[in-house]
Amino acid sequence: MTGPGVRAAALVAALLAYPFVDKALGFQTVHAVSDGMIYVLLALGLNIVVGYAGLLDLGYAAFFAIGAYAMGLLNSPVLGSPLYGHAWSFWLCIWLAAAMSALLGVVIGAPTLRVRGDYLAIITLGFGEIIPVAIRNLGDITVDIGGWRPIERLNLTGGENGVNPIGRPYLPGVPFETDPVPWYFLILIIGAASLWSMNRLRDSRLGRAWMAIREDETAADCTGVNPISTKLLAFALGASFSGFAGSVYAAKLQAITPGAFEFQVSIMLLCMVVLGGAGSLKGVILGGMLITVFDRVVLTQTTFMVRAAGRAAGVAALTTADLTLWRWFFFGLGLVLVMLLRPEGLAGRRLRPVAVGVDDAEDPMVLEPPPPPRAEAIPRWLRDRAPRGAAADPRVPILEVRGVVKQFGGVVALNEVDLLVPHGAIIGLIGPNGAGKTTFFNVVTGLIRPDGGRIALVGASLAGLRPNAIVALGVARTFQSIRLFPQMTVLENVLVGGHCRLAATVAGAVLRPPAVRAEESRARARAHELLAFTGLGDKADELARNLPYGDQRRLEIARALATEPRLLLLDEPTAGMNPRETEALTELIGLLRRELSLSVLLIEHDMEVVMRISDRITVLDYGTRIAEGTPAEIQRHPKVIEAYLGTGGEQDLAARDRSR
Amino acid sequence: MSWWEVLVQQTINGLTRGAVFALIALGYTMVYGIIELINFAHGDVFMLGLFISLAWFALLGVTTTLTGWQLLTLLPLVFVLTMLTTAALNVAIDRVAYRPLRRSTRLAPLITAIGVSFMLENVALLWKGPAPIAYPDVFPSVDILREWFGVDSAIFVTTKDMLVVGATIPLMVALHYFVSRTRWGKAMRATAQDRETAQAMGIDVERTILMTFFVGGALAGAAGLIQGMYYNIGMWWMGYQAGLRAFTAAVLGGIGSMPGAALGGLFIGFLSAWSDQYISARWTNALVFAILILVLVFRPQGLMGERSAEKI
Repeated sequence: MTGPGVRAAALVAALLAYPFVDKALGFQTVHAVSDGMIYVLLALGLNIVVGYAGLLDLGYAAFFAIGAYAMGLLNSPVLGSPLYGHAWSFWLCIWLAAAMSALLGVVIGAPTLRVRGDYLAIITLGFGEIIPVAIRNLGDITVDIGGWRPIERLNLTGGENGVNPIGRPYLPGVPFETDPVPWYFLILIIGAASLWSMNRLRDSRLGRAWMAIREDETAADCTGVNPISTKLLAFALGASFSGFAGSVYAAKLQAITPGAFEFQVSIMLLCMVVLGGAGSLKGVILGGMLITVFDRVVLTQTTFMVRAAGRAAGVAALTTADLTLWRWFFFGLGLVLVMLLRPEGLAGRRLRPVAVGVDDAEDPMVLEPPPPPRAEAIPRWLRDRAPRGAAADPRVPILEVRGVVKQFGGVVALNEVDLLVPHGAIIGLIGPNGAGKTTFFNVVTGLIRPDGGRIALVGASLAGLRPNAIVALGVARTFQSIRLFPQMTVLENVLVGGHCRLAATVAGAVLRPPAVRAEESRARARAHELLAFTGLGDKADELARNLPYGDQRRLEIARALATEPRLLLLDEPTAGMNPRETEALTELIGLLRRELSLSVLLIEHDMEVVMRISDRITVLDYGTRIAEGTPAEIQRHPKVIEAYLGTGGEQDLAARDRSR
Repeated sequence: MSWWEVLVQQTINGLTRGAVFALIALGYTMVYGIIELINFAHGDVFMLGLFISLAWFALLGVTTTLTGWQLLTLLPLVFVLTMLTTAALNVAIDRVAYRPLRRSTRLAPLITAIGVSFMLENVALLWKGPAPIAYPDVFPSVDILREWFGVDSAIFVTTKDMLVVGATIPLMVALHYFVSRTRWGKAMRATAQDRETAQAMGIDVERTILMTFFVGGALAGAAGLIQGMYYNIGMWWMGYQAGLRAFTAAVLGGIGSMPGAALGGLFIGFLSAWSDQYISARWTNALVFAILILVLVFRPQGLMGERSAEKI
């Protein structure tokens, strides 16, 4: 057996043996350890929301509360639930509780999706406050409308007194009533199953989508990831795990009160996630264990020691010291210190790995030239897709934009702009800074809603579609200021591009039936091929943020190609590149068109590049199209010369460019 | 009490509450305006302001109600001392917990802010103990309508109500003057709009941020002092709730907008007083949070602010 295999087997053996060893030695810690494991499970659920999807949730205890109360109310005599008192009650209620928590996750998630990160945090905090208040107050409801009382002294939640007792799980011959050991194993099984599914989710299309949203929501949207459903899924799944945790907690404790689900619990769970390293399963478990041990063992034991030392030394102040009162101080301090000193957490991936030979890479003398793109390297599957585009009626342009208008306040950013991209054409879009070129891209890709005009992709209107839907129809883009997913690997970046062409659902991602396995391995193979084609083949496992500039530009193109586009929008792809890189990229664009008949719309400031590869060029100035024609026509066009050089400029545009 | 007397009385209560919320909300909105951080610890600076003012009173030997000349000398002195202390505290918090994270993600300083908030609350808990602390009745309480005007009314308007209004308005006027007329204020407004351009224009951005925390902390300290003198009670956990209500006020008024924060504070004050009376004090918190959520979701720019778009 290999090293990790031995370690895993040893871990499993230790976990299985622990309660019996504990019993034999008379430690009686199984109860406390089981409770700690419930909190670790909660932290793992929170990690989906905070660590994966990057949504700071300050009210996660609300989901815990819903899980616990769902179990409490369904499986107790307090409200006269018909489910109480059967052997199977617990086993049914635990699923109901998880479902109710997930539902609440969607209810809380849905309205918050349009809200920015820090505002979203405050909203979750608001829900986290409202739920305990509601639980407290719904124990005794009387509605009094001018003496008419439609509802009198209705008890929905048990109010301040909470719910007690709660039905225990029942398995023949297993003493859940008297022995903590079955609880330990129950929680261990739930925890292991949760961990297993989370691990699989992370390495799936869904996990990548969460991380893409966390890294850059706009870029993810423009890469075919639907931010709304992705975030909702994170909320719902994160909540469902806390539903399991909450129901086990309720049944184990046999009594729940609203006080157990306050803001402090949310923060303690957040502490666990952040301390261990948001996004890392190992880290969250480590963080959860450290905090539980610290809270339950270190603080109390140190208090004993300090008191003993105080008595021995005769210091009165020490003999009455109680370090448990400092609990929240230490949690707060922990949050501050981790964020300041090690924001990636104890076990998280280092943000700034010490890259060997960083200096070499930045030195242009040793920079190896990008490999020239080769037609043979074009992935076969991209080629196979190409005829489909060509088979369509060539008379219908791939993109047809008519009279698009966009105003920002009083500024007319786009004024009745027309633009046509025929099949397999490269169209250049040029104009001085602020002419509205990027705004035009944003309108076409759905990031900005136009105030008027028509945009059609192969004859079908794109009006009102979200960016990710437009990507799914076959429009991919790159950004003027590179927008990769910096904390994801190069390969993962490209895989996110394939997101909208994959179909795995939650169940598929967890259970991995053959269809999902095949789809996933195909996606990986294709991503590798794309990387090889764009000259990034040997960098698949590097973090995108560590790539040199030119590689980042090419990775953005590889990611765009992974969405299997019919139309590629490139926003200044050669900006900041050296002449050799520019040359290779120009070559690449030409190759894509020649070999795949991919249509390209190109914003570019490098006139040499635009003039050389464009079939036709559209010139914008102050949001208005001032010229359209072949490169040769554009170079002679008086309005273009005027826009670029001002009136009276005698120099020819091309001449100026040559002299540069 | 007739129904209109109840309404008037609750409105007066709302006004005094709202004035305190407004002072706290100003600190939130100023900091958010300049570094886009929800300074979660701000409510706890307010809470510590109350305890610190108590300490200053104790240091100056004040344990009973102040009389004529003391009101004119000692009270302003305690105001200044408290405000300076909380201002320094707020600046220190920024230096230690937020400043190193200026170039980091948006959520990182929010997490440290929550951490600082817990630390401050715990410090207060250990300093003053878990039980509510009685704040000496330093400010004379006179029933104005009855004693000064001889009107026999069920409505109570006391000199303490006057104190709240009389202290808050000058502070707000001074703040307005500071922000709109001084060099510092101009630097703050410029930095809030565009930090990099402000830097390029020769503004020392870090000093400007420091000044923002200083002023915000001073206002929170004043609010703590006023709260203590008005309600004669202080709890280590009061900063959390007051802070969140004040933040709601700031958001309601359009975060970053100072007049908005002042008006939002008053609105939340009225609303919470009316809710206590007409719905139930048990539901007031839920109501305030519901408003916070609704505003953040449907009008995140606040009732008066303008929506800003992300740069792509």
